[in-house]
Amino acid sequence: MTRPAYARPETLDEALLFLKRHGDETRPLAGGTDVMVDLRSGKLKTPYLLDISRLPDLQGIALTEEGLSIGAGVTISEIYTSPLVAEHAPSLIKSCAFFGSPQIRNVATMGGNVGNASPSADTAPSLIAHGAKAVLAGKNVERTVAVEDLFVGPYRSGIKNDELLLRFILEPAEGRFSDFQKIGRRKALAISRMSMAVLADQEQGGAFRSIRVALGSGTPTPMRMEKVESFFKGKRPDRQTLEAGAGLMAQEMVRITGRRPSTVYKEKAIQGLFMRMLYPIWKK
Amino acid sequence: MKAGRMIPIRFTLNGEKRNLEVGAAETALYVIRERLFQKGTKEGCGIGECGACTIVVDGKSVNACLMAAPQLDGRVVMTVEGLGDKEKLHPLQEAFLDHHGVQCGFCTPGLLMSAQALITKTPHPTEEQVVEAVSGNLCRCTGYQQIVDAIGDGAKKTGGEE
Repeated sequence: MTRPAYARPETLDEALLFLKRHGDETRPLAGGTDVMVDLRSGKLKTPYLLDISRLPDLQGIALTEEGLSIGAGVTISEIYTSPLVAEHAPSLIKSCAFFGSPQIRNVATMGGNVGNASPSADTAPSLIAHGAKAVLAGKNVERTVAVEDLFVGPYRSGIKNDELLLRFILEPAEGRFSDFQKIGRRKALAISRMSMAVLADQEQGGAFRSIRVALGSGTPTPMRMEKVESFFKGKRPDRQTLEAGAGLMAQEMVRITGRRPSTVYKEKAIQGLFMRMLYPIWKK
Repeated sequence: MKAGRMIPIRFTLNGEKRNLEVGAAETALYVIRERLFQKGTKEGCGIGECGACTIVVDGKSVNACLMAAPQLDGRVVMTVEGLGDKEKLHPLQEAFLDHHGVQCGFCTPGLLMSAQALITKTPHPTEEQVVEAVSGNLCRCTGYQQIVDAIGDGAKKTGGEE
């Protein structure tokens, strides 16, 4: 095991200054649920751990003019129990309900979940379906990026070495249908084999005005299924249409990911999961 | 800014103030077991999957194996040693005995800590809440039903005493 040094800045400014100087050799540490595992296995070798878990600037959940703002350092438990999130992003609540275990949810942060850039990051599909933007800070600079664009490749994040994730800004559901579904090997402590989220807006007659569908664990990075989205636009959610859309989900996954040993299973699973997710709309 | 390879920390362990220096990449579990010799907290998988190392930090259940030791600084920590003692067991511990919630015993301290965190926040948990609270604790002996019964019963008895 490598022996890194530890630093705990009191302020965001101090943290960003540290990253400006040592960003290339630093790994931010929040809940530790990925970092400590990778340190133990030797996969992560880093000269510095920068403990950002107590930075006030990374905390807080609020509804602002921009949307639903969730600090990068907010824990999964805090999100799960937030009435604001329950009202404005039901899909995210659901992805937090099946996240790791109670012990992990008590410390793991959404910033860490996104920053680690796992293809199966549980919060990613809901964030993407809610059109979430990530606000990142460097020393004296701030930029805003679509969450989807921070997933560059499996475990490769678009966050620069001298940047920190500050917060996420989600589009509130505002009456739209917002849901998340996941398949894991068990209920708790299961890396998701497949996950997906939806944010759908319907007209009076039921036809989709707009729909956003995001897939996790089925593609190298969590991403929007744009072909599926445009297929549904203006269509009514009868069973036939939903089944055709589910088929398109499977096709898109195979087109993007290629055929793998698991495809035989995933091709069917993705369709079943999609139907399960949209069932409440169809039933209506 | 606190920084270095060895970090001075102060925290409260089972009601006692502790001051010591810890390595940057040591885990809270290592410090509790090997530096402070509180061996009730167990190491199972070491990667946050089994819950044997569960401790209560500021009222929340946490895997001690995933917590960097410097992160203990300023926290109030409870391990199984803080629950009962040799003369008098905690009602949760009594209930584990009554309901045969213990077989090999390795998972028990972690389960007790998950249960303790639950009943501190939710004194009268439903069975569903109990199941949820221990979903991050693996037991390979009992089949869980005895544990769930024990926690439900222990919660009632704890509430009754206070």
